[in-house]
Amino acid sequence: MYKLYIHPLPVRIWHWLNALSFLLLIFTGLQIRYAGLFDVISFRNAVILHNWVGFFVGANFLLWLGFYLFSDKIKVYQPELNPKKYFPAMFRQVYFYAYGILRGEPNPYRVTVYGKFNPMQAMTYQIVMLLLLPLQFYTGVLLWDVTGFAAQIDMLGGVRVISTVHVLLSIAFVGFLLSHLYLISLGHTTFAHTKAMITGYEDIEGEEPSAAAEAPETR
Amino acid sequence: MKNPAFALRRSASLLAAMFALALALPCTQAIAQDDEDAEEIALEEEDLACLECHDDPKLETQLESGETLSLHISTKAFLGSMHNENSCADCHYEIDIEDHGEGQSTITSKRELGVSMGDSCRDCHKKKYREYDDSVHAALIAEGSKKAPMCADCHNPHTVKSWELAEPEAAMPCGKCHDKIFDAAATDVHGLARSNKENPAPVCSGCHKAHGVKAASLGTGLKDTCLDCHKDAAELHKVWLPNAELHFEAISCPVCHSPDAQRRINLRLYHGTGTSQQQLLEKSGVPQFLKRAKAMDVEGEGLGDRELIALLKQFTNDADDGKTVVRGRLEVTAGVDAHRLAEKSKAISDCKTCHQAGAEPFQSVILTIAGPDGRPIRHDVKKEVLNSLFSIDSVHGFYVLGSTRIKLLDYLLVLVVVGLSGGLLVHMTARWLFRRAREKRAKDAQRDSGPK
Repeated sequence: MYKLYIHPLPVRIWHWLNALSFLLLIFTGLQIRYAGLFDVISFRNAVILHNWVGFFVGANFLLWLGFYLFSDKIKVYQPELNPKKYFPAMFRQVYFYAYGILRGEPNPYRVTVYGKFNPMQAMTYQIVMLLLLPLQFYTGVLLWDVTGFAAQIDMLGGVRVISTVHVLLSIAFVGFLLSHLYLISLGHTTFAHTKAMITGYEDIEGEEPSAAAEAPETR
Repeated sequence: MKNPAFALRRSASLLAAMFALALALPCTQAIAQDDEDAEEIALEEEDLACLECHDDPKLETQLESGETLSLHISTKAFLGSMHNENSCADCHYEIDIEDHGEGQSTITSKRELGVSMGDSCRDCHKKKYREYDDSVHAALIAEGSKKAPMCADCHNPHTVKSWELAEPEAAMPCGKCHDKIFDAAATDVHGLARSNKENPAPVCSGCHKAHGVKAASLGTGLKDTCLDCHKDAAELHKVWLPNAELHFEAISCPVCHSPDAQRRINLRLYHGTGTSQQQLLEKSGVPQFLKRAKAMDVEGEGLGDRELIALLKQFTNDADDGKTVVRGRLEVTAGVDAHRLAEKSKAISDCKTCHQAGAEPFQSVILTIAGPDGRPIRHDVKKEVLNSLFSIDSVHGFYVLGSTRIKLLDYLLVLVVVGLSGGLLVHMTARWLFRRAREKRAKDAQRDSGPK
């Protein structure tokens, strides 16, 4: 077991702000959609808070994007484009989480500084960060000012279409959050991954590899 | 000073004027006499000759319709009216003096008299008449309505005064037909303000236009009228109301400002492309809307989601280009409720009035097309249409947070949460059940990696 610094400070700040924002957005979103069913805060305050937090997530996204665009850590998000390599690795990871982890088999993926995501994570985070989150932000902005963006909304099929896409993505994010919360408990201890996102250092099982093996090209 | 436009006509019918006012229109409004004005105007001899007979309260005639037509023209009232500079023959130029006053009147009814005298009004009041011709009242008359008002139903030509001088509540003629609305308006926030003379609150014509009156539930004219006086309304709403502009667009003012009103959703048919959409008009002579709607609505319980789609498709197919869509609007169900406006502090500001499942305004949904006479033609729509996934296109421009949410998405959310939670719980259980196997494997690995 050795420690590896895989979560730089900007990423950790972004992550925790994003986590808090996601919880607030889900809470206020549910309050808006299901007003009357439960009323923790008023509908109006829920809408206002939802709008503000939504814009904050957009700004926070730029922090995340800026960090990765201007650092060599962007390697962690580079997709494996060769399906002959990607799919076997992906299936190995799925097998591990579905069965291997139960039997105590070692994780088939070894985390490195430039390869902190296993194939499942890499695929999921690419979709979430580069497709779903921007799309959710865009539909949110359209719904924030329906009259101001009337032409775009009309072109895209109307406010009902935009709202449906926004809600479908919200449901996907709720699913993502549930899965994420469970999967982060699957470290060598329940809170090992959570602790890593606070300190930046992840505990890696096995012998520490040589410095050459950690170079960006090795991923 | 006399109107020179009438000089020739009057000189040709000097004698006729003696009898002209015999066919006086029915007195429909009471306006106070103004003796001072009366003294300043001097009548021509021919007009005095008319009034010699007609200024008799007992002068009247029986019409074919059985009605009694008063022929009385009060000289004093006429001199106090806005028409006091006109001669009798200016309006009653068609009268033949040879047989005027002799035998049975050729007028069959008061209504017919009013229709026939309209042309006289048109001679001078051309602009007002053009507005009137485009009004819902004129459209009703063209349809053969015996009740829709003509000029003389609101303006007694022999006593008419400026509305600015009239006491609003008593003098407005609208109450003759719209009595319930009239009574409600007298005691709402505008009516009370008028009574107390606090501010220049509008009378009926202030919002509805006296001559160009349109059906209130079509178009956006009435809202614009509200904003004409309440110029800061949009800005004031923006202070506290999220998406205020959208609310202004999709909700009629009385929905919130008449707190006790019953509300409904009005899905209005529009046709066109992009921003050039226009409210769809029912074809004159070959009405299709109700025929089609009734054909679709076999059970008579209102159009369902699929029927609405089919109906829109039929109207879309009628035109070479563009698409027929619906635009939703929240409005009060009864016109009388639009005239029960409360003071600002009592207006609805609780978002949950509309933004929650089962909210009252969403229990009643109608589909509307603008009729050829300018009045709305309606057919019921099932309220479930607003929550249907199938309405995502047909009602694509109308969505209200909370209340028109698509139910299928609610089920999907529950499925995702319950399904995932269940799956993760199964995984946790499996991990617990496999704990012995893991411990054994770890021990074996430790033993294997130990010193040999």
